[in-house]
Amino acid sequence: MTEATTPTTSPITTGVALRLHQVRRAFDSLPVITSFSLNVDAGEFLAILGPSGCGKSTLLRLIAGLIQPDSGTVSLSPADTKFQTAYVFQDPHLLPWRTVLENAALPLELMGVDRAPRLAKAHAALADVGLTEAESRYPAQLSGGMRMRVSLARALVTEPRLLLLDEPFAALDEITRFRLDVSLRSLWLERGMTVIFVTHSITEAAFLADRAIVLTGKGGIVKLDRRLNLPRVRNNDLRVNPQLALETQALLTAMEEES
Amino acid sequence: MTKPTNFPRRTLLKLLPAAGLLAACGKSSKTRLALNWKPDPEFGGFYAADFAKHGLDVELLPGGSGTPTVQMIGAGSAEFGIIQADELLLARSRGNDVVALFAAFQSCPTGIMAHASRKLESIGDVLRNGTLAMESGLPFARLLEKKFGFDHVKIVPSPGGDLTAFLHDENFAQQCFITAEPLQARRKGVDVKVFPVSDIGYNPYTTVVATSRALLQKNPEMVKNMVAAVREGWAAYLQDPTATNQKMHALNPSMELPSYTEIAQAQKPLIGASPLGKMTAERWDALAAQLKELGDIPKTLPASDCFVDL
Amino acid sequence: MRTALRKAVPAAIPFLAITIAIESLVRAGWVKAWLVPPPSAIFQTIVRDAPELFRALAMTSFGALTGFALSAAFGIAIAVYLSSSRAIQQAFYPYAIFFQTVPIIAIAPLLVIWFGYGLRTVVASAFIVSIFPVIANTLSGILSTDRALRDLFSLYGASRSATLWKLSFPAALPQILTGLRIAGGLAVIGAIVGEFIGGQGLGAVVDVARTQQRTDKVFAAVLLASFLGLALFGLINLLSRVVLQRWHASEQN
Repeated sequence: MTEATTPTTSPITTGVALRLHQVRRAFDSLPVITSFSLNVDAGEFLAILGPSGCGKSTLLRLIAGLIQPDSGTVSLSPADTKFQTAYVFQDPHLLPWRTVLENAALPLELMGVDRAPRLAKAHAALADVGLTEAESRYPAQLSGGMRMRVSLARALVTEPRLLLLDEPFAALDEITRFRLDVSLRSLWLERGMTVIFVTHSITEAAFLADRAIVLTGKGGIVKLDRRLNLPRVRNNDLRVNPQLALETQALLTAMEEES
Repeated sequence: MTKPTNFPRRTLLKLLPAAGLLAACGKSSKTRLALNWKPDPEFGGFYAADFAKHGLDVELLPGGSGTPTVQMIGAGSAEFGIIQADELLLARSRGNDVVALFAAFQSCPTGIMAHASRKLESIGDVLRNGTLAMESGLPFARLLEKKFGFDHVKIVPSPGGDLTAFLHDENFAQQCFITAEPLQARRKGVDVKVFPVSDIGYNPYTTVVATSRALLQKNPEMVKNMVAAVREGWAAYLQDPTATNQKMHALNPSMELPSYTEIAQAQKPLIGASPLGKMTAERWDALAAQLKELGDIPKTLPASDCFVDL
Repeated sequence: MRTALRKAVPAAIPFLAITIAIESLVRAGWVKAWLVPPPSAIFQTIVRDAPELFRALAMTSFGALTGFALSAAFGIAIAVYLSSSRAIQQAFYPYAIFFQTVPIIAIAPLLVIWFGYGLRTVVASAFIVSIFPVIANTLSGILSTDRALRDLFSLYGASRSATLWKLSFPAALPQILTGLRIAGGLAVIGAIVGEFIGGQGLGAVVDVARTQQRTDKVFAAVLLASFLGLALFGLINLLSRVVLQRWHASEQN
């Protein structure tokens, strides 16, 4: 444990800082988020935990700008640069009629990037997630884990400064999930973007993040905000590390009080 | 709707000619007389008949477009049915043993009507140009073709009793019941000239009551009573159709009451025979010979098999 | 080719069984031949009247295919237009439903007035009868586009037309093809109904044969019409396979 006081930011900071101030959002006059405030540093890896229906997904959509708050502010710093945010859904949501390469290149295509450079970038993004060989295959020909990797590559292809993940690995088997956790962590280390990772798995949150918040079931109130005291470089050895168990325990206690 | 064209009535859904059989499958204790159209003056004598007086409990089954009465009789889903003589010959030649009992119409009411403004003199003139709508499968249609050829006229399907195309196009002629559509066309302000198909020597008995040979043999008394009741009914209707017309109008209000009166009057000349409903072997033989010549039936059928005089 | 044959075998079994059953029932005298013509008689009729029947089949095919093609083109175009806004849908969708409910037989005389006797009436009838499932399925396919993917497209600033053509439309293809499959069968029915009115093709053959009590010929024509429907269905399935082969689980095996 040489890095007991690990900074929560990665060394090469390309991430954006994020500030939510008294954000409120209702659907059909049912408040989902009530007066939510949160500051995230540039390059931070934040995990958001909470029971189902606590507004985690709404929070991510607010941050991504897909929906607007009824009141309060969501601000990024440096101020909103176009296309700096990427979003990974719980399911891969690939376009089944496109090859893996074309799927990974989709965001650049929508942004108007020419074919040759966008395919080159997609190729590189796929290499980052270890999927180079599958480039010319179609989603239906891939395993669930491979599809999620494509989804991840699609998010990374724009070199986002803010990466939002909404329970991305929840549907995968555990071995695949462990592998993707490690990949994600090391990608973050290399790139230094800000990551907000929503999950309902306490161990996954503890394993991945440097800071975790636990939301209550009502209106997205922060119940616990904890910096995790774990090494910066993480691999599967960490899973049996007592330090992880301690952090997991702390999160679990907060979760249990909640439910 | 007025009286539509000749029968078998035109239909637009005729993929299953035996469809009517399914509808009539339920067994009834009543004696059924299947009509091939809705209640109208063509059936006046049947609605006027006092069946109870002859010990019969008769249910009149109104029909519609393409009701296959001749098949219904053969299949036993109606004891009696209304058919046309040429239909009966076709059915017999296909093995459906149906027998004619009573011919309400001695003269065939089928005709062709054209706009009077065309100043046509004969049925042959109708075929000289323009369009003619008719059921081209019927024997009279092919007799026309044989006599005059269809080289100069465009033959199209009969629109049933619908007059839209006729009223719309002066050079459009169509198959009709000479007692029905011409009245309607005149009422719409179009003067028409009507040519009965009997002009070309085609004159099958029409609105004929028929039954199956099986029933005739099994229950000749009942068949006899049926014919007697129908004959009296027609006599009564010819005498005074007023009450019966009102009864039929109540059942089929889609036609105005005055039309019932007019048609009942107009059809009188086609009905007369003594006694009413009588048929002769000569006419059956003549019709069979015509159909054979047209190739509709493979060989002529003896008249004695086709009808009985009761 | 061999797999196509192997697939045809199970379907041929009921056909043969029914054929043999009807033939035996008629030969045994249980069912009268003038009510249900024996298959052998139908077959003989097809052979004997082959020139007439197949010329009629060709006309019906042409009418049905033309009507179907128009339905496909206009149906998809109309659905795309309707999908553009909720207000447009509310304004015009009820009129699309009109196509489904229009009693084609009731307006038949008008079709003849509008389009004249012959092919155009046949095509119009096939078109009117078959367009609605294309509109309904295309529209529902476009409207049921995955919300997550819509979010993704808006995240990257995709225009409306890019979202339509790169996402909604291709995603709706399986449903569009389902609509086309239904429309194919309806187009054949519509064409034959049109032929009753317009006077040509298999519809006219059925019309004439019926007045002559030629049930064998009626059935022969109906059989050919069924084969036409089947062929159209097969054609659309083939199209479906080509279009969807790589990306739909249902087309995987």
